[in-house]
Amino acid sequence: MKIKNYFFLGLFFVSSLLMAQEKKISGTVKGEDGLPLLGVNIVIDNTSKGTQTDFDGKYEITASPQDVLVFSFVGYKVIKRTVGQETVINIEMVSDNTFEEVVVVGFGKQSKRKVTDNIASVSSSDINNIPIASMQGALTGKAAGVQITQINGKVEGGVKMRIRGVSSISSSQEPLYVIDGMPLINDDESVSEAPINPLISLNPNDIESIQILKDASSAAIYGARGTNGVVLITTKQGKSGKTKVSLNTSTGWSEATNKMKWLNAEQYVELFTEASTNSYGAEDTWLTEEGGYFDWMSNGKDWRTGEVDTDWQDLALVKGSVQEHNFSISGGTDKTLFFISGGYNDTQGIVRGNSLDRYSFRGNVDHKISDNFRVGMNTSLSKTKISRIGTDNSFSTPLQAIAQSPLTPAYLDDGIVPNNETSIYYNFLMQEYNGNWEVNIFRVLLNTYLEYQILPELAFKTEVGYDNNNQTEEYFAGSLTESASTNGYADANAIQSDKYSISNYFTYAQTYNEDYDIELVGGMSFEESSRKRQYVAGTGFPSDDLQTVASASEITSGTSSRTKYNFLSYFGRATFSILDKYLIKGSLRYDGSSRFGASNRYGVFPAASVGWIISEEDFIKDSEILTLLKLRGSYGVTGNAGIGNFASLGLFGGTAYNQKSGLSPVQLGNPDLKWEKTNQIDIGLDFGILNNRISGEIDYYSKKTNDLLLNEPIPGTSGYTSITRNVGSLTNKGLEFVLNTDNVMSKNLTWKTSLNLSTLDNEVTDLPSGDIVAGRNIVREGETISSFYLVEYAGVDPANGDALFYKNSVKTDGSLDRTTTNNYNEAERIISGSPYPTFMAGLTNTMSFYNFDFSFTLQGEWGASLYNEGGKFQSGNARYEDNQTTDQLDRWQNPGDITMVPQARMYSTNGQQASTRYLEKSDFIRLRNLSFGYTFPREVTEKFSVDRLRLYFTGINLLTFTDYSGYDPESSYDNNGNSNIEKGITFYSSPPAKTFTIGLNIDL
Amino acid sequence: MKKYNYLPIILSLLTLPFIACDDNLNIEPEQNLSPEVATESPANVKKILNNIYAVARDNGSYGGGIALASELIGNNGSLSWNGTYVQPAEYNEKAILSDNSFVESIWVNAYDISNEANIVLSSLSVFTDEYEKDVTEGEAKFLRGMAYFDLARLYSKTYVPGSQNSQLAVPISLTAVLDASIIEYPTRNTLEEVYAQVITDLTDAYNLLPDSNDIYATKYSAAALLARVYLEKGDYDNARAMSNDVINNSGAELTATFDGAFNNGENSTEDLFAWQVTSQDASLNDFSTFWAGSEFGGRNGNPDLGITSQHFNIYDDPNDERSLFFYVTSRGTATAKWKNQFGNIPFLRLAEMYLIRAESNFRRSTTIGDSPLDDINALRDRANASLYNSVNLATILMERKRELSFEGFSLFDAKRLGANIGSIASNANRLILPIPLREMDVNPNLIQNDGY
Repeated sequence: MKIKNYFFLGLFFVSSLLMAQEKKISGTVKGEDGLPLLGVNIVIDNTSKGTQTDFDGKYEITASPQDVLVFSFVGYKVIKRTVGQETVINIEMVSDNTFEEVVVVGFGKQSKRKVTDNIASVSSSDINNIPIASMQGALTGKAAGVQITQINGKVEGGVKMRIRGVSSISSSQEPLYVIDGMPLINDDESVSEAPINPLISLNPNDIESIQILKDASSAAIYGARGTNGVVLITTKQGKSGKTKVSLNTSTGWSEATNKMKWLNAEQYVELFTEASTNSYGAEDTWLTEEGGYFDWMSNGKDWRTGEVDTDWQDLALVKGSVQEHNFSISGGTDKTLFFISGGYNDTQGIVRGNSLDRYSFRGNVDHKISDNFRVGMNTSLSKTKISRIGTDNSFSTPLQAIAQSPLTPAYLDDGIVPNNETSIYYNFLMQEYNGNWEVNIFRVLLNTYLEYQILPELAFKTEVGYDNNNQTEEYFAGSLTESASTNGYADANAIQSDKYSISNYFTYAQTYNEDYDIELVGGMSFEESSRKRQYVAGTGFPSDDLQTVASASEITSGTSSRTKYNFLSYFGRATFSILDKYLIKGSLRYDGSSRFGASNRYGVFPAASVGWIISEEDFIKDSEILTLLKLRGSYGVTGNAGIGNFASLGLFGGTAYNQKSGLSPVQLGNPDLKWEKTNQIDIGLDFGILNNRISGEIDYYSKKTNDLLLNEPIPGTSGYTSITRNVGSLTNKGLEFVLNTDNVMSKNLTWKTSLNLSTLDNEVTDLPSGDIVAGRNIVREGETISSFYLVEYAGVDPANGDALFYKNSVKTDGSLDRTTTNNYNEAERIISGSPYPTFMAGLTNTMSFYNFDFSFTLQGEWGASLYNEGGKFQSGNARYEDNQTTDQLDRWQNPGDITMVPQARMYSTNGQQASTRYLEKSDFIRLRNLSFGYTFPREVTEKFSVDRLRLYFTGINLLTFTDYSGYDPESSYDNNGNSNIEKGITFYSSPPAKTFTIGLNIDL
Repeated sequence: MKKYNYLPIILSLLTLPFIACDDNLNIEPEQNLSPEVATESPANVKKILNNIYAVARDNGSYGGGIALASELIGNNGSLSWNGTYVQPAEYNEKAILSDNSFVESIWVNAYDISNEANIVLSSLSVFTDEYEKDVTEGEAKFLRGMAYFDLARLYSKTYVPGSQNSQLAVPISLTAVLDASIIEYPTRNTLEEVYAQVITDLTDAYNLLPDSNDIYATKYSAAALLARVYLEKGDYDNARAMSNDVINNSGAELTATFDGAFNNGENSTEDLFAWQVTSQDASLNDFSTFWAGSEFGGRNGNPDLGITSQHFNIYDDPNDERSLFFYVTSRGTATAKWKNQFGNIPFLRLAEMYLIRAESNFRRSTTIGDSPLDDINALRDRANASLYNSVNLATILMERKRELSFEGFSLFDAKRLGANIGSIASNANRLILPIPLREMDVNPNLIQNDGY
């Protein structure tokens, strides 16, 4: 460096001698938004003389008239100015639309133009300011072929992300999440069956962009974990220039997207009195007599005069609220960039007693030690506190209150103590009154890197990542709750899971004759994940005010455990581009994991892709209309390693009988266990018309997964119920279509539309072990995975009110026997629907008009069904004493009645068995989010030193269009939230929130 | 500039440790042992044996599940089902579906017992101490025999003494399954075959087990269970011999009061075998869950299984302690037999042996050990009920009800004695459990019971 500088100094002297008329020129460089730009390069053309702008965008340079000043800055068009007589030259830089968009890929970046993969990109503007606590929730509807569903309305609820369908039956169906190059811990650590979204501790406002690697060509570089797609998250970084301070604050309220209609007290009395009469005769007045069952329920209130009519639904589904405050400070110089942010989110859920608050902090720094040596660190800390409620399958969960009778008062006469004396089921209000369930999650993410440019064309990068997820869950149920018999119960569960990853790789990039580009990437990575758990439970508390296990008179249960797994991987990728037209890419990953059997520890995952930028060909190059036309195709192999850490081993675990130790066989071994491999073909066409005002992608993919890792059910007579094997295969095929249009691009009005459509056809193509039936779902060869397998309901016999079912037994000629029967055991189950949509669409419109901006996303899914496992209780023509949906009033009453609701017979089964009676199509279109903003004119805000002030309104799930009659077409049972086969089941599952917020963005 | 040039070399060197770190991929589980280690020593094999008791005591099986099925399917109106669970409601309605998860638990647990017993029995060669080996073998066979006996009674048509009994019962599986290659898809054995297996196992256990064995199965646990099996088979000679052996030789004595036989933390003097329950158990105690009021750990039905007035018709003396062994809750009357959530669950009580001996002697017109009258009066005396001057079969069977109600005998006694349950004939298909749907789905060689 120094030698060069002296050289320049020398030159400078020489030139100054030669050019005596030179003078000082100064000025300010600003962007289109009027903000000063820092670090703009200013060079005198054809010399090495130059400078850079400072924090205020100011520069100073000595030049002579006729010299040409060249202003350049990344992302902006180069501006040249010939020096004349003036001494001040102010420049407004114009951003460069033709600037090649860069996308993040595994272990590197690539020009979007030359990408031969299918990658969906979502930028910060798409997801920021959406007041959803979970990062995934903000992505819904934004990417083709990506289905994102929050399990139900609980704030911490698990989120399912399915990229291009479901590729596995028994191992993980979740994508791999990678943040700033580091694979994330994504294990649900909930102590109950209801999952907690493991990514809930990430603040979505820190995200700069998300790339979803969908095809094998892009995902295969992540080898054994690429099958379900890879989500690459890049966090925000400062830009050189003026330090930017941003504040975002919003507040709002929420409510359930939908409520159902339940019988009121009068209707309840009518229906159940009739049901009892039908079962026991009118002379048996056990319900209505003095001191009868209804009197008992009413607990001293007079139901006969309508003194009590409890709306339990309104007690369970309440008004929620959202508050979000974020700030960030970012900026930097040409050497150092930084981004600091802090965030606070407080979400009070719409299900009573459910809330979340999260504090998060992020600091990202990138520093150039020298021209060829960079270091950086991205770090984030967050603390998330969640107040939980019971799983959908617990009486203590609020929404199960809809089963209570409207005759039962919610509270005792004092109005404070919940009435648990005469409720049919445990009164959930007791949990709020006398219990507590809190989760605290501490998450630390740390990622440091060193990058060294060994030669201009050869770089080396080493990254060390660390992820620590520390979760404590504490539960207390006092002496009045379900734990009354033991005088209270408390437990505490602590999880420490951490993961470190090291990756080292070289990148070689060279251009020959300007026509041939080559890029090579090669390296290795090692990851180790470990998890520790401690748990203790106790009963017998001296006081309901003492709520930790410390006060328990008896410790009833305790455990601790440790487990570990790791991955050792080598990878390489070669990318060629010839004449900017012909693109070829190949990659190879070699993965080893401790999770697999000794005989199959390593797997090889190759991928190749080609692209042809047709629009660069001479015959079309000058087309005014067609700006881009690119054909691409890829093929590759990815794996799925999402199984238990020791799935290949035969295992015995510790147990106890009479407090003496025992050993129990817990798992059958299979040393041949190996990767689940997926071969995926993708053919795509990218196009851009009219200077890319209309652009889009069309893709067809076919994904075939072989050697399925299957928890294959085996006869219980063996002493076990399942074993993990590599058997069978399934395919996912689909078409994806993305269209982006700039409908209007005038100075004061812009309007952009983005549409994505995708189809999905899933089929289990080979299942040598035969059908796997789990609950209401089946995995069967030739059918969609997890298809519903149910007896078909045939309505009601008009003659006697009996529920009828189609027999559907296979006749000798192969056809189904379509006669009906009232004997359920005579009816056969048939495939009756699928829990997965076959068609999905997302439509986002973004508009700005003068200082107003407006955007909304509509999202729809078609082809899926939901089975209501609670239907037999909720809509079971008064078989159980549970309150019923009002449609049950259409019950059969007299011979000749035509209805779908059988005669009400209390305590006598008539149509409540599992059948298609409780299966419903769940197609929907939803106004997923909408925002409307107003930015105050700069002239006004400048007076207060504010660069930008925007006031906005945002709404989430404002409208839902659906024929589905249950709570919500997307809400499903969380008690088996991690089951892969039992899908599309709902059971007292709460609807999601409909949220309205008002917020302010302030940039200083 | 130059001074940085060695850095990439150092950094590249960092990668070297990992190139040679294949060993890192060998991670041993910290909570589990391999099957080889688990079966390599007498100490470990005995730990597996201990676990079989835990599996059997599971709330789905002997911790309440089997008794619940028997009492509710056998309910003729003496019980009222107040609970919210669907599975017991199906029992009570005698409209059981094959996907009933309680039915599945009984089946899966029984075969878990069977397989773990098979594992223990196939590992006996590691023992060097003959006594220890015999006891281990005896206990494993006791547990296996017990499991098949209850499977046969629940999933098969009733045993008809003196006939072929070729009706399908349940598959007998005697292979120890320790790796995936030995998984079988068996067919159902006949009832005769299953009973033969049960009697072989229990007789072996009787011959191998010692007189006392802590809280584990003893010689007289096996004898008492054999007495129950023979009675079920209508083999009164053997039932009499076994019950007489137990009464004379086991050293067990009726507790001083009826109350003393229940809700004990330690086995009582009349327990020939009891399931041990502690507050630390992984599994609930379903006797208390379903039969106790909520203040004693019962569910919200308070109690889920209420005792109706009809039940009280069986008592003939108001002073009979057994007729007073109840308590009233907010929603009904509960039996006091299952008040202690963490109390032991009596499985083979000496009182049952008196009843078996009395019934067998009466049916065979013998008085081996003692007369039926004396045996019945022994129980009545203990319960503070007036003594009889004479007994007949009806009074003996009625005494059996008074003594053993709510302990899981209803369905089996009704079937054995050919007594209708309400209007349902004792041999009706509805009174037989379906082969669990999961099992039918997995194993094509199974044939479903009639009526399902």
